[in-house]
Amino acid sequence: MIVLDPNGEKLSLMSLNVGPTHPATHHCVRLLTALDGETIVAGVSEIGFMHRGFEKMVERGTWQQVIPYTDRLNYCSAMMNNIAFCRAVENMFGIEIPERNKVLRVIVNELSRINDHFICVAAAFQDLGGTTPFMYAFNPREEIMLIWEKLTGARLTNSFARIGGLYRDSYSGFEGDVLAACNSVEKALKDLHACLDRNRIFLDRTVGVAKISKEDAISYGWTGPVLRATGVESDLRKDEPYYDYETYDWDVVVGTQGDANDRLQVRLAEIEESVKIVRQALKRLAPGPVDIIDPRIRVPSHKMAYQDMEGLIGRFKSVYEGIRVPEGEYYCGSECANGELGFTIIADGSGHPYRIKVRSPSLAHVSAFNYLVEGLTLADSMATLPGLNMIAGELDR
Amino acid sequence: MKNEAEKPNFITSSLDFLVNWGRTNSLWPFPYGTACCAIEFMSTEVGRYDLSRIGSEYVRFTPRQSDVLLVSGTITYKQAPILQRMYEQMAEPKWVIAMGACASSGGFYDCYCTVPGIDHIIPVDVYIGGCPSRPEAFFDAMFDLQNKIKDESYMKQRAERVKDQLEMIRAKTAECKAEAKALAAEKAAGAKEFLVEKEQKLIKKAQFWKE
Amino acid sequence: MDFSEKIVSVLEEKFGGKREPLAKWDACVVIPKEYLHNAVEFLKNDSSTQLDMLLDEAGIDYLTYPNHEGPRFAVSYSFKSTKVAGRRVRLKVLVSEADLKVPTLTDLYKSADWLEREVFDQFGIVFEGHPDLRRLLNHVEFVGNPLRKDYPAQKRQWLSTSDYLMPELEKRLESKGYKVIERSEEINPVDEEYLEGSRK
Repeated sequence: MIVLDPNGEKLSLMSLNVGPTHPATHHCVRLLTALDGETIVAGVSEIGFMHRGFEKMVERGTWQQVIPYTDRLNYCSAMMNNIAFCRAVENMFGIEIPERNKVLRVIVNELSRINDHFICVAAAFQDLGGTTPFMYAFNPREEIMLIWEKLTGARLTNSFARIGGLYRDSYSGFEGDVLAACNSVEKALKDLHACLDRNRIFLDRTVGVAKISKEDAISYGWTGPVLRATGVESDLRKDEPYYDYETYDWDVVVGTQGDANDRLQVRLAEIEESVKIVRQALKRLAPGPVDIIDPRIRVPSHKMAYQDMEGLIGRFKSVYEGIRVPEGEYYCGSECANGELGFTIIADGSGHPYRIKVRSPSLAHVSAFNYLVEGLTLADSMATLPGLNMIAGELDR
Repeated sequence: MKNEAEKPNFITSSLDFLVNWGRTNSLWPFPYGTACCAIEFMSTEVGRYDLSRIGSEYVRFTPRQSDVLLVSGTITYKQAPILQRMYEQMAEPKWVIAMGACASSGGFYDCYCTVPGIDHIIPVDVYIGGCPSRPEAFFDAMFDLQNKIKDESYMKQRAERVKDQLEMIRAKTAECKAEAKALAAEKAAGAKEFLVEKEQKLIKKAQFWKE
Repeated sequence: MDFSEKIVSVLEEKFGGKREPLAKWDACVVIPKEYLHNAVEFLKNDSSTQLDMLLDEAGIDYLTYPNHEGPRFAVSYSFKSTKVAGRRVRLKVLVSEADLKVPTLTDLYKSADWLEREVFDQFGIVFEGHPDLRRLLNHVEFVGNPLRKDYPAQKRQWLSTSDYLMPELEKRLESKGYKVIERSEEINPVDEEYLEGSRK
């Protein structure tokens, strides 16, 4: 199309459609651009290709049946979403979970965060044409997946957390496995830094690309690593601590520039911090119960159900009718791998959720995408997108 | 020719074997990964599982260069026309694997926005269960697909294709022949008239000069 | 909890808000529609609040809510401060079925753009003054608003072809000071040609 630019000169622009079937957009974001040569003059993005009706589906089940759906929000770190949801509901009940459960949840949270950040960095490299770091990042990830398999029985979508407890206690040998995984994570980090820090091609393509200011990032509602990359020190684990995060010795990682490179570096540095937290948490892991004892909230164990009348009734009632969350509304956000994952919960006092709205971090990040890439070249736009860590399940829900 | 091609003989069956051998051992997938299963497919590709072992060396992100459309993840109604377009753009021979519960049947998203199985849109060769499917299940599906391809007969397919083409050519030739005949007849008639006219003219001339 | 008590009383005084009795665990104030924009402006800019991030907008349909009185819909806004840790507040606006209109917040927060589009998509609530109010998650040919309680969960709607987006791109170009003077051929497609090749 031919346009008049702001100076009144004639300009011939080409409109080009990028995605959703593009390796970097993961079949989930479409960007229609107007190109002047190779530079993007204007862009419009479209999402919704993975909208699978989380919010409609959860209204049909009981409160416990929401948990498998939360797995598939951010499927790279599934258990974090379980824990975030269970934490919201537990806050509504006003219950305090046992100490061992807290520590286990911290370990699981941080290992999931490592998993998620590894996928993000690996995919970013892959999209820029580097296959080796992709392989490096997946080795420790596979090791963590093995722990998941032993712990929960599933590789990716684990559904481990329960309201007022966990699916089950950890297995014997769990601590050793986690320590070994931590070691290989550190080894892989070294390899990744060797690939990344002085790689001329990578630095040329990411440093200074798609910069965003603090004010803009806050206005767009960015949270998590991408906000911290712009230099804002905001982490819910420090700001509104839960599960005793404030008592662990770790630092909030912040970037300086807010460009594509910072967003990936912050993630890699956060993996180091997570490893620190996991190592400390392993020392605190003392034997004890993981579930609260309240048959109205946490389903009684099989042992109780088969030997005890009350246990059997409790099991029947909580499975068939669902647990009765007190009537009211509540917003609760937790720090997940991508940012603040929040649940606005409307409960009507019955066994079924009346409405659950997910505050997804990816939606806020991707809403800034077309503004970020305007003025960049088309190739740079594909270096920008993986740094935002767009996870479709969370983006479109 | 028709009969010869349809009957398997030494030459056609060896050719079949050769073609199938090539096709089975270099299946290049086109990962149409939208959701959780795509992450498991990534695990399948790298280090520990290594998809390259069975000849799927390259993962091509363009439909023109790939043989297997690998749908991993939920397909929504918004995505459906795009998926169909991708399938149409792939070159023959092409196969489709539906990876995971969502692609096979819609999974537990029985909802206003999800397609209940991609077989509503495109034909599927192999289904894999699981939510998401494990890498081992994915390998199993690839072996199934390889066995399926080994059973296919390239010569038979070719004969069917050629049969259609032959019939078309025959029909076309008959048409052309008829046209040429009609044209020739027209021409002959025209020439006759011309001759008659010329004769009459000559006769007229001769009469004129006689007079 | 200090801050939330204070902010609730300020909102009650200044903007005629009312504390939501159902919100037992966090601070939530029901604000009359006409004061919403002013209240949010106050929350964002005032030095005593500094709630500079709009986290979420959630539409709610109270059609089947037991013993509910009052308007059918509501929109809940969640705010948070990145400057002072731990400051959060929720605002709620009640929307009746006869008058599905809420003032937009796009001029205050950039994140409001997509969040409002999503609420419009799922509930049909119109945000007055929104620059580009289109469906966000569902496709262009979708009829109805799926998250309303009277929309059956399994009512499926096929899409014939993807969204066109060209008018939006032109709008975006014009907002940046460009002026489209000539469109290429593919930008003005004939309807039948355009539909050809995609599914019916």
